[in-house]
Amino acid sequence: MNVARLAVRPSVLARRAEGTPNVASRQQPLKSPSRFLQLPHGSPVADCCPRFFSTSSALCCENRRTPASADTSGTKTETSQDRYSTALRLNKEWAAQTAKEHPDLFPTLANGQQPQILWLGCSDSRCPETSLLGLKPGDVFVHRNIANIMHPGDLSSGAVIEFAVQHLRVQHVVVCGHTSCGGVAAAMGNKQLGILDPWLLPLRQVRQRNLSLLQSLPPEEAATKLVELNVREGMDVVKQKGVVLNAILERGLQVHGLIYDVGSGVLRELDTEDSEEAIKARLTAFATEA
Amino acid sequence: MASDSSDMEHYFSIFKNNKEWALSKRKADPAFFEKLASGQAPNYLYIGCADSRVPANEIMGLEAGEVFVHRNIANLVPNVDLNVMSVINYAVRHLHVKHIIVCGHYNCGGVKAALTPADLGLLNPWLRNIRDVYRLHEKELDQIADADARYNRLIELNVVESCRNVIKTAAVQQSYEANGFPIVHGWVFDLRDGLLRDLQVDFKTVLADVKKIYSLPKE
Repeated sequence: MNVARLAVRPSVLARRAEGTPNVASRQQPLKSPSRFLQLPHGSPVADCCPRFFSTSSALCCENRRTPASADTSGTKTETSQDRYSTALRLNKEWAAQTAKEHPDLFPTLANGQQPQILWLGCSDSRCPETSLLGLKPGDVFVHRNIANIMHPGDLSSGAVIEFAVQHLRVQHVVVCGHTSCGGVAAAMGNKQLGILDPWLLPLRQVRQRNLSLLQSLPPEEAATKLVELNVREGMDVVKQKGVVLNAILERGLQVHGLIYDVGSGVLRELDTEDSEEAIKARLTAFATEA
Repeated sequence: MASDSSDMEHYFSIFKNNKEWALSKRKADPAFFEKLASGQAPNYLYIGCADSRVPANEIMGLEAGEVFVHRNIANLVPNVDLNVMSVINYAVRHLHVKHIIVCGHYNCGGVKAALTPADLGLLNPWLRNIRDVYRLHEKELDQIADADARYNRLIELNVVESCRNVIKTAAVQQSYEANGFPIVHGWVFDLRDGLLRDLQVDFKTVLADVKKIYSLPKE
């Protein structure tokens, strides 16, 4: 193998040759918040982009904005490379600050992870799960894809769910959609999008099944409704997996559906309780044994 | 069997944490969410590991709206994975990101599992991609006597191979040809000190190399 061709800094390699902590151990879970608190009541979730359906791009708003933090940091004038260096510099500041505030965190993290939550959310930059949950590194295992779609046969999300439920034994699986979702907007439109089309297919299936309801709503409300229906669909797909069904039965694993409002920053939990009949039907159809 | 009460307390506490977070953002910038509601324009696409210890925004010190994120087991970019390919396509063609970062991390459980002879069922085909990375770099890896050092090197090589797979896509090649971006970078996060290390993947060199076989110019 030609190392030079890969252009990896030799100093990095030398560093790696030093010993590392044992990665197999999984003791020392992170201290987690333990106060019992009330759920918030439903927050408004109607802050969709007003130009959702009138743009030339079917996928996202045309009025691309400058990130909030850029307004004060003067990054508008930065070159592309400057921006890149900024992220690496900010990491150093974050690491120093975090080590100061939580001196035990990094030594604990090196020993393993024991997250309680698996987050299945959208790749959208406005939905940073660990930040918006007010949690710390080590708390949330994460899969994020376009429009938080759960394809039954998708090996990527399938492997994440398998690992989180079976091996890490998380207590909660969260499927989280959000307002102003570009993937949902695309599925509400009819523009050809190449490789994205097969990915967005489940959204269109949900659209088809709920066509009259969606057509009865104003465009923005319809989009938010499809966000919600997509979350419910995703939860169904998650709960159809044998590993999840077994964990629900054997150790009380919970599957939740949330909507994140990008216009207010607030999470809202959907009422997703299944009827006994639905639970029975699901078990009959999907429960499997070794 | 129901979850014990401390689990539920933990779960419900996130709603309060979330409200506090939203409030603090609003306090710092009253228009913070208003601006986000009007659309996203991130400069970065981050492809990282699902591992709970490596939250993208935190380690990069970035705010909501600044980085588009895909996370899967062991930050893989398999050539036929529709999931990651859709993310790359959307980020490059519709969001026009300037940088794509593939970020691995030391102590990666996925890479560890791929180094272990064990049948992990559904995880086998996913983790096989990492075994393929080992095979591609077998000579180099076999020469590393220390098991930990070999494990760490495989983590790095896995990132480099994922970068290579990102560069194989038509979206990245065509956008770079037309606009001079995105640039693809490989990073490794070290859990022991919270620091990112840039593997210094030479984008232009890898792109030229990849294009010998994988060139997909616009018609």
